[in-house]
Formats: sequence, C-alpha cells, structure tokens
Amino acid sequence: MQIKVEDKSGIKVCYAEGDIDINSSPQVKKAFDKIIQTKSGKVLINLEKVGYIDSSGLATLVEILKNVKGFGGKLKLCNLSSKVRSLFEITKLEKLFDIKDTETDAIGTF
Amino acid sequence: MSDRINRKIEIPSDISHIKKVSNEIVKGLKQVGIVETLQFDIRLVVEEAVRNAIEHGNCYDKDLPVKILYSIDRSKCVIEIEDQGKGFDVTRVPDPRKQENLVKAGGRGVFLIRKLMDRVEYNEIGNKVKITKYFK
Repeated sequence: MQIKVEDKSGIKVCYAEGDIDINSSPQVKKAFDKIIQTKSGKVLINLEKVGYIDSSGLATLVEILKNVKGFGGKLKLCNLSSKVRSLFEITKLEKLFDIKDTETDAIGTF
Repeated sequence: MSDRINRKIEIPSDISHIKKVSNEIVKGLKQVGIVETLQFDIRLVVEEAVRNAIEHGNCYDKDLPVKILYSIDRSKCVIEIEDQGKGFDVTRVPDPRKQENLVKAGGRGVFLIRKLMDRVEYNEIGNKVKITKYFK
C-alpha cells in the first residue's frame, strides 16, 4: 500500500495504491493521521488504484472521515472501481461519504 | 481447467495467515474459470469469515486452529470455516446500515458475508459457518 499526496488548489489529494485491508489498514490510518495533523481543511482520496477493500479498510476510511470532520474539514472520495463502489452501496456508506466519479468532479465541488 | 476442487486448509489463529487461505481459494476459482467479480466477492467473504474466526472465535490464540473446508466446481463454491470458540448469536449482530451504526468503525464483516453470498448457515453454537455461492 502506498499513499502519495499532492497539493492541488489548496486540496490535499491523496493517491492510494494497493489493497486497503486488515494488513494495510494500520499503515493507511497512520499515513492519514499525519496528513490530518496538517489541519488541511480539504482532503480528497483518489481510489483509482485500489482494487480491493475489506471491512477493516471501510472502517479505516470511516475513522479518517471522522477525524477530518472533527476539525471542521471536508473529505471526498473519487475514482472508485465498480466493485469497491458496490461495497459502499451495499453498506450504505455512500450516504456517509461524498463520492465523486472523477478527481476533477471532486475538486470542483469542495 | 479443473472440473472440481475439494481441499482442506488449517491455519493458526494469526491474521498473517488469512491471505494464504484466500489466495488458495481464489487460485481454485481461477482454475475453474470463475469471473473476476465473483472472485472478488468470495475473496472478501473468506477473509472476513477467517478473520472473525481468528478474532472472535479463537481470540487470537495461535495454538487454536481455524479449519477451512472448501469445494469449487463450475456451478458453485461451498466453504466451511470452523473455529474453536464458544460461538456467537448471529441474530444479535447489529445492522451496519442503520443510521446510528453508519459512523461506527466496525461491524460490517458478518453483514458483507450474508449480503454477498447466496447461502450462509451457522451451526447451532455458532463456531462454524458454511457459505455457498452459486455460479449458475
């Protein structure tokens, strides 16, 4: 699992690559704790290169969302694969997260 | 392509072994020619169920095994996962889709197993789950 961060128009765009599962979730949580410490009010997670998420991964994303909202920030997700998106739909997490189809859509709506 | 696969796996209660189980089952699914979307669902369900067995059933006691028995053919995949714990009442697992549970970090594993598979059966005490996915 790798996470690269780029600053685009004041938004922290985080590119995740690999599986977000029980093995990588602690690493993902730690990486986002660092990003959140910068108190960036706008965080976008691009999941284009994430092919697999399990319930630990979903839980980690919920924790990250709570942390970002905790200091008044906004978090969006974009570029979910159809299978990953289906997990958000099945679990109704699509109601909790702001999910956009593309990075451009997401950046334009912060 | 093989027509039918029947195998047993036994792992210690250590989460580092979960991938060994899912990798082997996904390999079997590929051998039988099952499409990737179903491989994804079955991988997810296996990993969730084995994790539950390790975490909630065997309480991470590495001396206690998790036993997996699976069969795959072109019509279905049947997987049994058994731990050595006291079991649990699956009807008491809260629905993670309810508004009050949405922000909770955990509680989606059992739900995903039930949602993604066609049949999910627990034994009486709840330490063994049998999951079935039909392909046709």
